[in-house]
Amino acid sequence: MVDKGLERTIAERDHFEFLLKFLEESPSETSHLLIPLVRANLEHYKDTVRCIEEGKPVIASYFSNAPEIFTAMDIHWYCPVAAAFAGAGANPYLMNDLEGTDKLAVSSDICTLLRMAMYYTEAGLLPRPTAIVGMIIPCDGIVALHEASRRSKQWRDIPMFAPDPPYFTDERSIDYFAQELRRMVDFLTEHTGQKLDIGRLREVVEVTNEQYKLWQEINELRRAVPCPFNWGVGGGPFALTQNRWVGDSRGLEWFEAALADSEKRVKAGKGWLENERIRLLWFDVHPTWFFDLAPWLEEEWGAVIVMDMFSYCPYTLVDTLNEETMFHDLAKRNLMDTTMVRQAVGVADNFASDIVRIVKDYKIDCVVWPAHMGHKDGAASVGIMREVCRDLGVPFLSIGIDTFDPRYTTPDEVKNRMSQFFTAMGLG
Amino acid sequence: MSLSHRDTKGTRILESKIQSKAFQELSQAAETLVNPEIKRWREQGGKVLGYFCSAMPEELITAAGLLPFRMRATGSTGTDLSDTYFSSINCSFPRHCFNIALQGGFDSFEGVVCINSCDNIRRIYDNWKRQLPTTLVHIMSLPRKTGKPQVEWFRDEVANLKLLLEKHLNMKIPDERLWDAIALHNETRRLQRKLYDFRKLDNPPITGTEALAVIVAGTAMPKERYNQLLTELLDELGKSAGNTDYRARLLLMGGILDDPAYVKVIEDQGGLVVTDSLCFGSRLFWNDINERASDPITALAQYYVADRPSCPRMFGDYERRIGLVREMIRDFKVDGVIVERLAFCDHWGFEQFTIENDFQDDNIPCLIMDREYILSGAGQLRTRVQAFLETMGR
Repeated sequence: MVDKGLERTIAERDHFEFLLKFLEESPSETSHLLIPLVRANLEHYKDTVRCIEEGKPVIASYFSNAPEIFTAMDIHWYCPVAAAFAGAGANPYLMNDLEGTDKLAVSSDICTLLRMAMYYTEAGLLPRPTAIVGMIIPCDGIVALHEASRRSKQWRDIPMFAPDPPYFTDERSIDYFAQELRRMVDFLTEHTGQKLDIGRLREVVEVTNEQYKLWQEINELRRAVPCPFNWGVGGGPFALTQNRWVGDSRGLEWFEAALADSEKRVKAGKGWLENERIRLLWFDVHPTWFFDLAPWLEEEWGAVIVMDMFSYCPYTLVDTLNEETMFHDLAKRNLMDTTMVRQAVGVADNFASDIVRIVKDYKIDCVVWPAHMGHKDGAASVGIMREVCRDLGVPFLSIGIDTFDPRYTTPDEVKNRMSQFFTAMGLG
Repeated sequence: MSLSHRDTKGTRILESKIQSKAFQELSQAAETLVNPEIKRWREQGGKVLGYFCSAMPEELITAAGLLPFRMRATGSTGTDLSDTYFSSINCSFPRHCFNIALQGGFDSFEGVVCINSCDNIRRIYDNWKRQLPTTLVHIMSLPRKTGKPQVEWFRDEVANLKLLLEKHLNMKIPDERLWDAIALHNETRRLQRKLYDFRKLDNPPITGTEALAVIVAGTAMPKERYNQLLTELLDELGKSAGNTDYRARLLLMGGILDDPAYVKVIEDQGGLVVTDSLCFGSRLFWNDINERASDPITALAQYYVADRPSCPRMFGDYERRIGLVREMIRDFKVDGVIVERLAFCDHWGFEQFTIENDFQDDNIPCLIMDREYILSGAGQLRTRVQAFLETMGR
């Protein structure tokens, strides 16, 4: 009998196996970018199953915890909230899981993703980890989730450590966070028996440095008019630098292929869309139901998501000179760069200056703040965003969605809101 | 439902069996933003510094010669102005507070200091800086954990605030003044604990409604005066016959609750609130700052990060937090617990979930309530409390 905690993981593994076969048998213009991502996911799920079945250490962790360290320590990890993106984002369990989540006595005004994570834990739907490296950044909800997970009957005996993020991003903050990462290493050694080899960490970081460099080049090409890439590209770099194949040369090959693709398009003066009419900044992560919305934006309005939160990071390169420089720069990268963390942690100047820079650099026609119901700090910043956009002379739209629950504001309602906005602003 | 009436000058007065002048002054301070003590302070040339969150080392503000005022939005009736900057999914406390700020309600303040207490409050700092002319607007980074590295981090934060105040006021804050301020505030804490000792009695001489007013007042007037009034009140309470007309003894838990009227709705149903775990309550004074520490800044950091009772904003401290509540349940002979939460508060949202599960296992009656900052659902609260008391067989 399959362990309940592995059921979903095994289903995911099988799903990606099928998807890989399908993509290999049905080549398309984007197969060379999709296939490696599917393969990376397939390997991830296979490794999770293998580790659990063989009793090897597995940790539950989140992005922004310097995953290079996990790779260098040869510890397999999975992200608990990734379960919400099952089926390569198509999530066949979504409605059932949302119903299960609704039955949980956690207030429904809390981020649905975090409530779902609690549901997965309580319902025993996640592989049981050896240890947990929590993430208590960038929002209150995730701190509260981890505190509740510590007390969950399913997980309360599993040791947990969470690096403490300071609110600022100055040198003092980076040094402090670097020390927290060192304490994370001690915790991992204590609970998994694995040790950190600094030489191995250097090798891993050298690969991710190359990945980040290529990511930067890809992003710079996205400035081109027309834009050579569409919304789908943001998830790839994020996945490969923070979640899958971290420090693996195959991840690097994906970046090289993606860059080559962009260069080819830019040189040919070809955009992702033949008739690009709106260049849009989607200032948040992608909803799980983006497969419904984003293609519609392209087809109906000629709107390209030129930049988004998944894609935009300032690409801190890690100085591999010695252990100290690596920890310092990994702290900086994970405190200041990663998706949502960069935008939500710290004072509003951080995200406000990003909006200014992206709008100018990427020739943005309009800024959309989807206003996910869980992003309370963003909700409390909506006036600032509006003023920043007004000063830039770029139209701004705040919608009000649930990134993980299409029942909150349905994709059709979002389409209506966006159509009205484009029409009113004379866009497209 | 009305907790208070207005005197001839239109000031709200708390209805209470406690008749002393001291209590009247204290309750008036809780029911107004600018109370007579603040007015007097300002007339004498004193300055007021507003701050958010009970983790603020207000001793430092006192030592700088300023009057620390814990920000609240008592008397607010709407959020028309602040709704431009906040959204409907934000907690109503910062929305009301910022609305009053935009109306000019805090214009006379020398400055405002925030802490990254929560996602809602931390954005008050950003909006305040952009929209209001206040010259001193600062935010402190409070760690999420309570260990030694976190105390060291916060020590630097306190030291930075000290430097900022010194620069702003063009003065020095010597250690002696800080120690004096710590002693003064510790005295407040000792008096407040004495007040709570009375509540352990079978016939507590003070209700939860009254006690909340007294504690709120302590965040809105000079500590010397407050200690004087509280001492007078304690003398009076020692002679009181106390309250015996109640159906159950309750413990109230939650985040920001500065409105005695909310507690009165509960107590009007017969549930006497005998203690609490609130940040306008016991979490302010349950233990003292170490007056024998190596230096006052370290003493402040140690207290505010690690020693005082934490709230769910802090990670990894649930066991200590709930342990203290369990002790209170025993010492105050508590029959049931009400865990209230401001809607949209993520910290207390998950904490309610955990507490409910834990208390269920221990057969501790527990009522989970959501509310708005401004008392708006009194009818619903009344019904829920009635039902809760009935389920306890009271």
